[in-house]
Amino acid sequence: MDFDVRPYNFTSATTSWLTLLGILAVVCLALPLVVLAGRGGVSGLVEFRRGLWSYLEDVFSLSFRRILALTSLTLKEAVRRKALLVFVLFAVLLMFAGWFMTDSNERAELQVSVHVTFLLTAISWLLLPALIFLSCWALPEDIRIRSLHTVVTKPARRMEIVIGRMAGLGVVVAILLGVMGLIGQFWLSRRIPENARSALQCRVPLFGELYFISSEGQPQETGLSVGDIWAYRSHIPGNSRARGVYVFRNVDESALTRNEKGEEELLLECRFEAFRTVKGSESSIVKGISAQYTLSVNPREEAFGMLAQSEATRPVADALREGQYNTAAAELKKLTERIRTAPGELRPADYFGLHFGMFVSGTVLDNRKDPGLGDLGKLFIDAALTGEGVTAALQRQEGGERVEIPYEAFAAKLDVVAAGLADRAAVLMETLARMEVPLPSFNVSEYHDLDETSTNLTRVPRRLRFVADYETLGRFLAAEIGKKNESGGVLADGVLKASLTEELVRDLKISQLNSERLVAVLGEQLTGGALAVDAGRLKVADGRSWYAFFDDLIRREQLVSEDTDGWMIEKDLIKDLAAQGYLRVEVACINDQMYLGMARPDLFVRKADQPFWVGYWKAMLSILLMLLLIIVLGVTVSCVVKGPVALLFTLTFFLVGQFFHDFMIRKLAGVEKGAGTVESAILIAQHRNPEVGMDVSETAMNVVRAADQGLDGVLRVFSMIVPDFAVFSRASMYVENRFDVPFRDVLLPSVVVFLGFLIPCILIAGALLKFRELEAK
Amino acid sequence: MSNAVIEIRNLSKIYRDFWGRKKVQAVKSLSMDVMKGEVFGLLGPNGSGKTTTMKMLLGLLFPTSGEMTILGKPAADVTKNERIGYLPEESYLYRFLNADETLDFYGRLFNMSAADRARRADELIEMVGLGKARRRQLKEYSKGMTRRIGLAQALINDPDLVLLDEPTSGLDPIGTREMKDLIIQLKAQGKTVVMCSHQLADVQDVCDRIAVLFQGELKVLGRVDELLELRNEMQMRTPALSEAAMADVRKVLEKHNVTNVEFSRPRADLEQLFLRTVRESGERPGRRFSTEEVAAGGRG
Repeated sequence: MDFDVRPYNFTSATTSWLTLLGILAVVCLALPLVVLAGRGGVSGLVEFRRGLWSYLEDVFSLSFRRILALTSLTLKEAVRRKALLVFVLFAVLLMFAGWFMTDSNERAELQVSVHVTFLLTAISWLLLPALIFLSCWALPEDIRIRSLHTVVTKPARRMEIVIGRMAGLGVVVAILLGVMGLIGQFWLSRRIPENARSALQCRVPLFGELYFISSEGQPQETGLSVGDIWAYRSHIPGNSRARGVYVFRNVDESALTRNEKGEEELLLECRFEAFRTVKGSESSIVKGISAQYTLSVNPREEAFGMLAQSEATRPVADALREGQYNTAAAELKKLTERIRTAPGELRPADYFGLHFGMFVSGTVLDNRKDPGLGDLGKLFIDAALTGEGVTAALQRQEGGERVEIPYEAFAAKLDVVAAGLADRAAVLMETLARMEVPLPSFNVSEYHDLDETSTNLTRVPRRLRFVADYETLGRFLAAEIGKKNESGGVLADGVLKASLTEELVRDLKISQLNSERLVAVLGEQLTGGALAVDAGRLKVADGRSWYAFFDDLIRREQLVSEDTDGWMIEKDLIKDLAAQGYLRVEVACINDQMYLGMARPDLFVRKADQPFWVGYWKAMLSILLMLLLIIVLGVTVSCVVKGPVALLFTLTFFLVGQFFHDFMIRKLAGVEKGAGTVESAILIAQHRNPEVGMDVSETAMNVVRAADQGLDGVLRVFSMIVPDFAVFSRASMYVENRFDVPFRDVLLPSVVVFLGFLIPCILIAGALLKFRELEAK
Repeated sequence: MSNAVIEIRNLSKIYRDFWGRKKVQAVKSLSMDVMKGEVFGLLGPNGSGKTTTMKMLLGLLFPTSGEMTILGKPAADVTKNERIGYLPEESYLYRFLNADETLDFYGRLFNMSAADRARRADELIEMVGLGKARRRQLKEYSKGMTRRIGLAQALINDPDLVLLDEPTSGLDPIGTREMKDLIIQLKAQGKTVVMCSHQLADVQDVCDRIAVLFQGELKVLGRVDELLELRNEMQMRTPALSEAAMADVRKVLEKHNVTNVEFSRPRADLEQLFLRTVRESGERPGRRFSTEEVAAGGRG
């Protein structure tokens, strides 16, 4: 997928909307108040109060029956004035569309995409002019021919007329769209060649968040740039520690699908970009590069990864990430000493990285429910707050201020953290368990989307069998043997059960050879006194945990696999790897000198597909909302100006909202490069570029910059008034790319934008119509 | 307690241009009342301000200054419309609706129930004589038919106050007569009717009181009978007199110093002639009436 829809923040959107609505209300009340008071003094104020009261009465006395009457009037008008003739145009378009469509030799996905894009675009752009015309012309025409006079001289409130008009046109467009949608569905199902119909998919993606780990093991927001003009994807170099890390939330059993054999599996679908620096000889062109997924549970990375951002703290972070807590405590002590003795050796960025990383670590530890870790987290946070004081003081010092920097206080807090780490090393080792499950590598072809044979779908079975690393094996054995021992399944009459080997093969699903080895080692340890028997149960003689006991055995290579495959163990994808609903997928590029490009939407968990038509009708709903918004705007504007002017206004709103809203936001956020409006005009006139700047005096430059700031203010207001019509196109993009349309991230913004404009527009349009003279000469 | 249905006090209306500059003052300090149960006529030449006044009463225009109440409520109060019926100067109805749909639509604006709307529509369509054309869209109606359906929509809510802007405009003499009969009928039902018209004869026929406006100012206000009465003259109506009888009468009047005496045959007005001709043509189709027959009352 070549577009990235960010998760929608409903709360933030609602808050912004309420704020804007408040500002709008104040402006709308203040303007007439000032005008009336200025014109008539006290009597003007009385008039204002009377008008406001009457308006509020209108708002709270709306009659549903009258609105319904006006709605059905609009509907009848549209039908009898032959608005439905648009169907004929649509039918003609579909009849001849086939001439210009792709032929059946194209890839199935492309054929589907082309057909769906054509259909959705045709429906939108056919209905658009008809609706703009209807919505902008209806009320002014009623006023012009005075039909409205016969309505407003009845007990109909003018706001009811506005709502009735909007609702009536809304029903018209819903009917038009519904029928066109049905015709389109029929056309698509017949028109798409049989060999491509399998691509009429509605994939349900679960997108995650992406961050990168650099070759130095440092977490980063972005990867490398390989110099692509379009910086959509970031790259990781091959054969290095660099990883792209996708974190998926809410991965549970509903994310699984069933294969032909009825086995549960998780589908990972990707669309990475292969970037090769070496093409190979002509005779042996190897297209594509190898990549590998590693599923991991890595609480240590989550807790301590951010500490690695600062160079000074990287040794501490690396030790913590490896689970070597005593080493980490020692490294931290060394750092503390440096802060005490030569604080200037550390750059301000190091202090910032240190206090920020410690704050993140503290928060993560504090949020964990494991006993002891919460206290440690608080120590981290305490130290981070003191560190923040150091950073702030350094900034003030840079600004020329003379301040005392609390290095000593910070060092003291860090000492406390180091002591805390050493004290809780055992707890940390027990609780912050890392598990990594490498999956078989796969090929990412160089021109991925053009290669018909390449597969980008990885099927991960729910029951994962893999070769365990030391840590995973230690924890696996500790958990399984501990559980079996607790239930009395290990000993019989004070000695290891005779059938223990077979039972371990059966229960732990390990190989016969490794089971025999394990039982033999347990026997040796029992004989050697490292294990003891207590009340019919085994126990570690020196009181260590089972994990510490097995970890020690593994590291002393007493539990080396007897099997050539290594220690193959089995884990449950959902219960063991996505226990909290989080699934981490690390992506690595295997080939040296090659790069793998990825962006957030490039990898997703593919849930069970929906029927294609589900997504198709969701896109229709989004188009409907867009058209309804156009109706709302058209009717609102037409309450105050004549038809042609209303049409121009509405069309401008639509075009700017559809094509330039994003630009306005980026320009105001400073993301869009280039000078301000006036400055740009001067630069053009002077044939200069923004890098060189204007050839004017400093005073003139200040004036120009001030003018540009003023224009930016106007642009800001404009960006708030103009709806972001692009949100309505997103659903279509999903369907064209054969995705389901997610409600929260795509449909909800459409609904919110629509309602966000509908409510103020009704209130404004009602007021505009109420306070205008229908017979003014 | 005042018996006035409409009270207007110092009402003025100034039309301004886009820049707020005064273009014309359509109504100047108008004060008058319309009493319950009367037929009130607003007269005046074009541009005298009568339609402006009526539109201000209906809330289509806002007064520049002054006060006015209708049925005890301010003109801007939309709830007053529940008891008002309005027939605009031309019938600006929705041309894509038929008569039934038109009345149903306006009935719904009064929140009338479906049964009431259907019953009332039947009554009104019967009353205005559009029974045969009730299913045709209004765009197919003649001007007279459009006025009729316009009148029907004005009466859909059985209003207490009926405002008629040029009610007889576009109607043939029969339609005009029927309209005037209807206005009299409405008055008989206790309703108040305000009409503005150029057809002075129509106003004279039906109005109890009139107001004459000129250039936005009220020039005359009073009862039609009183305003039209020629107090210095008398009229006597008798069967046709012989020359001798007329001379005798003249002599008697001369004894009382009345010398300026005129004898003439009274004339029917054209409306009466037209109505009679149409009625009798219906009774005896194919017959043409001679001048003598017409002068003798149309009977052969």
